[in-house]
Amino acid sequence: MANKTQYRQIPTSESQIKKRAKMNPLFRSEEITLCQMFIQPEAAYTSVSELGETGAVQFRDLNTEVNAFQRKFVSEVRRCDEMQRKIRYVEAELKKDGVKIRDCQEVPRAPNPREIIDLEAKLEKTENEIMELSQNAINLKTNYLELIELRHVLKKTQGFFYDENVISTEAMRNNMTQEDATGQGANQGRGRLGFIAGTIQRERVPAFERMLWRISRGNVFLRQAEMDETLEDPETGNTLYKTVFVAFFQGEELKNRIKKVCTGFHASLYPCPSANDEREEMLKGVLTRLEDLNMVLNQTQDHRSRVLHNVSKELPRWSIMVKKMKAIYHTMNLFNMDVTKKCLIGECWVPVLDLHKVQKALSDGSAAVGSTIPSFLNVIETNETKPTFNRTNKFTRGFQNLIDAYGVASYQEVNPALYTIITFPFLFGIMFGDLGHGFIMFAFGFWMVSGERKLGAKKSNNEIWNIFFGGRYIILLMGIFSMYTGFTYNDVFSKSMNIFGSKWRINYNESTIMSNPLLQLDPSSNDLMEGEIYPWGLDPIWQLGTNKIIFLNSYKMKLSIIFGVVHMIFGVCMSTVNHNFFRRRVYILLEFLPQIIFLVLLFAYMVFMMFFKWVLYNPKAIPPHSPGCAPSVLIMFINMMLFKKSPPLHGCNEYMFTDQELLQKIFVFIGLLCIPWMLLGKPLYIMCTRKNNNKVHNGHNGDVNQAMEMTPETPEELAPAAHSESHGHEEEPLSEIFIHQAIHTIEYVLSTVSHTASYLRLWALSLAHAQLSEVLWNMVLALGLKSDDPIKGPIMITIMFAAWACFTLAILVMMEGLSAFLHTLRLHWVEFMSKFYEGLGYVFQPFSFKLILDETDE
Amino acid sequence: MGFMFNIDAGYLEGLCRGFKCGILKQSDYLNLVQCETLEDLKLHLQGTDYGQFLANEPSPLAVSVIDDKLREKLVIEFQHMRNHAVEPLSTFLDFITYSYMIDNIILLITGTLHQRPISELIPKCHPLGSFEQMEAIHVAATPAELYNAVLVDTPLAPFFVDCISEQDLDEMNIEIIRNTLYKAYLEAFYDFCKGLGGTTADVMCEILAFEADRRAIIITINSFGTELSKDDRQKLYPRCGKMFPDGLAALARADDYEQVKAVAEYYAEYAALFDGSGNNPGDKTLEDKFFEHEVKLNVYAFMQQFHFGVFYSYLKLKEQECRNIVWIAECVAQKHRAKIDNYIPIF
Repeated sequence: MANKTQYRQIPTSESQIKKRAKMNPLFRSEEITLCQMFIQPEAAYTSVSELGETGAVQFRDLNTEVNAFQRKFVSEVRRCDEMQRKIRYVEAELKKDGVKIRDCQEVPRAPNPREIIDLEAKLEKTENEIMELSQNAINLKTNYLELIELRHVLKKTQGFFYDENVISTEAMRNNMTQEDATGQGANQGRGRLGFIAGTIQRERVPAFERMLWRISRGNVFLRQAEMDETLEDPETGNTLYKTVFVAFFQGEELKNRIKKVCTGFHASLYPCPSANDEREEMLKGVLTRLEDLNMVLNQTQDHRSRVLHNVSKELPRWSIMVKKMKAIYHTMNLFNMDVTKKCLIGECWVPVLDLHKVQKALSDGSAAVGSTIPSFLNVIETNETKPTFNRTNKFTRGFQNLIDAYGVASYQEVNPALYTIITFPFLFGIMFGDLGHGFIMFAFGFWMVSGERKLGAKKSNNEIWNIFFGGRYIILLMGIFSMYTGFTYNDVFSKSMNIFGSKWRINYNESTIMSNPLLQLDPSSNDLMEGEIYPWGLDPIWQLGTNKIIFLNSYKMKLSIIFGVVHMIFGVCMSTVNHNFFRRRVYILLEFLPQIIFLVLLFAYMVFMMFFKWVLYNPKAIPPHSPGCAPSVLIMFINMMLFKKSPPLHGCNEYMFTDQELLQKIFVFIGLLCIPWMLLGKPLYIMCTRKNNNKVHNGHNGDVNQAMEMTPETPEELAPAAHSESHGHEEEPLSEIFIHQAIHTIEYVLSTVSHTASYLRLWALSLAHAQLSEVLWNMVLALGLKSDDPIKGPIMITIMFAAWACFTLAILVMMEGLSAFLHTLRLHWVEFMSKFYEGLGYVFQPFSFKLILDETDE
Repeated sequence: MGFMFNIDAGYLEGLCRGFKCGILKQSDYLNLVQCETLEDLKLHLQGTDYGQFLANEPSPLAVSVIDDKLREKLVIEFQHMRNHAVEPLSTFLDFITYSYMIDNIILLITGTLHQRPISELIPKCHPLGSFEQMEAIHVAATPAELYNAVLVDTPLAPFFVDCISEQDLDEMNIEIIRNTLYKAYLEAFYDFCKGLGGTTADVMCEILAFEADRRAIIITINSFGTELSKDDRQKLYPRCGKMFPDGLAALARADDYEQVKAVAEYYAEYAALFDGSGNNPGDKTLEDKFFEHEVKLNVYAFMQQFHFGVFYSYLKLKEQECRNIVWIAECVAQKHRAKIDNYIPIF
C-alpha cells in the first residue's frame, strides 16, 4: 500500500517548499499526509522527544482496543505519576510557607533516560528531607502549643482559685501537696473537692459543659475563661481558638468519668498546682522552656526555608521535565510493536511542509542514542478524512477562531477566515459607525496590541480578559473601521464636524430666521451650491434637519442591502473555488450557475436599480425625472415578482427606462427556471454517472482493488482518476440525494430573500446606535451644558460629564459594541458562510510540548 | 409541583443527578476485574469520574486506603448537598445520616465492651454519622446512662426511649439496642416521608418498606439458635414494611429457615429473592439477593423527577459501588480471582 501510488510528490528541495508555502497562505488548510514511522525501540524515546519539540505531528492511536493499563509503557507513565505526586507535595509545602515559585526562564528539554534516574533520586531525596523537616516542625510545634496552653492554664486559673479560696481557704491549703502522675492536683479538702484543669476548643465548650453536668447530675463545678491568643494547629496550620477550664468535683469515681469525657472531647489536661506560689514557680519554668523552644523553632524554621528556597529554584524545571516525559510515554503508548519486536511503528498526520522537520527530528533522535539503524518515515496514501490545519500567526489567529467556532473547515476547503479579516471589521463598522466611539475602541485595541508582550506574559485566569486579549487585533481593526464609517456618517458622539464646509447656504434674511422656528432649504434652488458636493460623507447640515432620520434611514437601508447582496454574491462565487479544487467542476454548472443567476437577476438587479435611481432623478430635473416621480425600488421589486402594475403619478413614468417591464419579466422567468435546474441537475447527474460507472465496473469485476485498507468516506477528495476505487464505500441511495437536494434548493431560494432582509440589521443597528448616542447627549450632557449659573454650572457640567462618559463607555461602547459584534458574527456565519462553507473537518492537534505545557498551566 | 420543588431543591437535584452519572457502568467493572495489580485499578479509576482521587497517595497502595478515599469522596459530596439544603430537604438528609449514627454508637459501645481504646475505634466510625458527644460515649455503662449522658442531646434521643433499662451493657443487649433503635428510626423516617407526600412518599416508602422487611427477615434468620425469645424478637421488627402486620406475625412464629421462606412465599417480590438464592457454591447468597433488589429499587428512584428519593438512592448506590470496588480491590490484592465477579453491577 505504502509503495503503491504516490500521486503527489513530496517536496524535498528547499525551493519547492518555499514555493508551496507561498501558494498556501490562509486561503485553504495545509496539505496533510499520513505517515508511518518505524523507530528503533532504543531510539523511540529521544525521537518522540524531538518530535514533541518540533510540534508538527499528530499521532494516531494504534491500540484503541487495548486498555489504558495494559499498554506497553504503562510502568513508565506510573513512574512519572509518582514523580508528579512528589512535585505536588513539595509545591504544597512551598505554598504553606509562602515561598514563591519562579517561572523558569528557559524551558528544559525532556530528560534522557539517564537523567530520569537522577531526577527520580533527587525528587526522592527532596521529598524525604522535606517530610522529615515538617515532621520535626510538627513535633516542635506540638510541644510549643502544649507549653503555651499550660502557660495560659496557669495564668487563667489564678482567678478561679482565688474565688475558690474565698469559699474554702483552709481545705485547699491542707491538701495541695497531692498531685498525681496524670497531672491534676487533687484537692481533698472539705467534702474531698478535687479539680482538673485543661484547655478545650471553644466550639466544643457548650456540649462539654452539658455533658459534664449530665454525667454528674449537676455535681461538677466548671469554670472557664477564653484564651485571648489564637493558636496554630501544628499539623494543618489552621488557627485554633481554645478555652481554659477548671472542673471542680467530688470523689475519685467522678474524676475518672470526667477524664473520659475530657478525652472524648479532645480536651488537653495539664497539671496545675493549687497553691499560688507553686503555680508561679511552675509558670517561671514554663516561660524559660518556652524561650528555649522558641529559639529552636526559629532555627528549624530558618533551615526549612533555606531548603525550600533551594528547591523552589529547581522545582519548575523538574516539573516541566516530568510533564514532557509523561507526554512522551503517553505518545509511545499509541505506537504499535512490530511482530519481530525490532521496531516501533507509529502512524501520524504530518503537514507536507513540515516533513523535512520530522525527518530531521527522527534522525536527531536516533543520533542522540547512537543508533546505527536509522528510523524510517513512509508516506502512505489514505482515503480517510485528514485533519484541518491552518497555520496562523498572532494576527490571523483571532479571525481563524471566529470561523472555527462555527465549525472547523473541511480538509482543504476554502477558508473564510482570510476574507473575514476585512469584511468582519467592516460590517461591524457599518453598525458601530461613530468616530468617537470607534476611537475609544481603537485606543483599547491599540493599547493591547502595543503592550501585547508584557500583557501576554502575565498569564491571567480572568476569562473575560482573555477573550478580549485574544481578539485584540479584531478589536483594533473594528475600531479603525468604525472610525472610518463614523467619519463617513459624520458622527462624533452624535455630533457632526464641519470639516470641508457645508455646501448648503442660507439665503433667508436675519428677521425671517429669527421669527421662524423651522425653515426649508430647497436643493433645487440656489440653497445648494451649484455643482459642488461635500467631498466625503454626509454634509454636516443634516445634523440640524428635522428630516435627518428619514433621510438617513433611506440611505442606510439601501447601503445595507447593497453591501449584503455583494457579500452574498461573493460567498456564492467562493463555492466555484471549492468545486474547482475538489475536481467536481461539473457542479459549477449544476449548482453554482443557477445559484448565481438567481441571485444576480433578482437581487443584484434590485441593487442596480437603486444606483440607477440615484443617478436618474435629481432635484433640478423636470418630470418625469423630478424627485416626486422617483418610484420606490421596493414596490418596484415586489411588482416585478408578482407581475403587477401600480399606476404612476400624473406626469411620471412607472418605469425608469423603456423595456424595463419586458426585461423584468425575462429576469423573473429565468430566475424561476433556475429553481428546477438546482433541484434536478445534481441528482440526475449522479444518477447518470452511476449507471455509466456500473457498466465500466462490471467489465473487470475481478480486480477490485484489494489493496484498499481503509474505505474512503468522502468521495469529493478523490481525484477523478481514482474514481473506480471509490466503489469501496456504500453509495447514498438516490432517493436520499433527491431529498437532500430538494432541501438545499428550498433553503437557498428562501435564503436569498431572508438573508437579504437579514442584512437590514446593518441599518437597524446603526440607526439604534446613532439614536442612542443622540439621546444620551441630549438628555445627559446637554443638561449640564445648558445651565448658565456661574456656580452651579461648572458643578453640573462636571457631574453630567461623568455620567455621560460612564454611560457612553458602558452602554454605547461595551454593550452596543458587543451586540454589533454578535450581529456581525451572525452575518458571517449564516449569511455569508452558508453559501459555500461545509465546516465538517476536525482540527489538527499536533503533539507539541509547548501546547501541553501551556494547557497544564491553566 | 415541579416548579415549586425547583425553587428550593432544583439545584441540588440537578447536582445529585449529575453525580449519579458518574456511577461506574458495567463496562467499567469489566475493565476493573481485568486489573492485575492495585496500580492498574488506580489507573483505570483515573479514567472515570473518580479522577485523581488517588493521585496523592504514595505507592504501594493498600485496599484500606482506597476504601477510605472512596468514602471520603462520597462524604464530601453528600455534605456539600447537605450544606446547601433547606427545609424539608435538610431534615430528610439528616434522617439519612441517623442510620450511620446508630451504627457508630453500636460500634463504639461494642468496642469499649471489648476494652479497645476509644482512639482506635474513632477512625472506624462513618464520618456521616459522627456527632459531638460521640467520642465520650464510653462513660456510659448502662443503656439508661447512655441515654441520659450522651444521647439525650442528639437527634437519636426519641428513638432510644424504648431501650432505656438499668441492665448492664452486654453483647445481647447491644444487639437488641441496635435493632430497637433501627426499628424506631425506620418507622420515624417512613412516617416523615409519608408526611412529605407526593412523589417523595411514593418512592421513599417503597424503599424503606423493603428495608424494614429485609431487617425483619434477617433478624428472624439470625435469631435461630440464640437465646432471643420469640416475643422479644417480635418487638424488633420494624412495622412499616409490606409484611406488616400479617407477615410479621407469621415471622414471629417461625422456627427455621424453611418457615421463613414459606412466609416470604406470600409476597411475590420476596419469594423471587428466596428462590434465587442458595448456599451452594456458585449460588448467590440471600444477602446478595437483597442487595441486588435494593439496587434495583434505588435505580428506579431516578425514573421520577422532583422528589427527595434521589438523594437517598444516590447515597445507597454509591455505597454499593464502594463495596464493589473494595471487593474487586481485595480480590486483586489477594490474587484470589475466583470470586471477583461477585460484585453487584448498578447500571
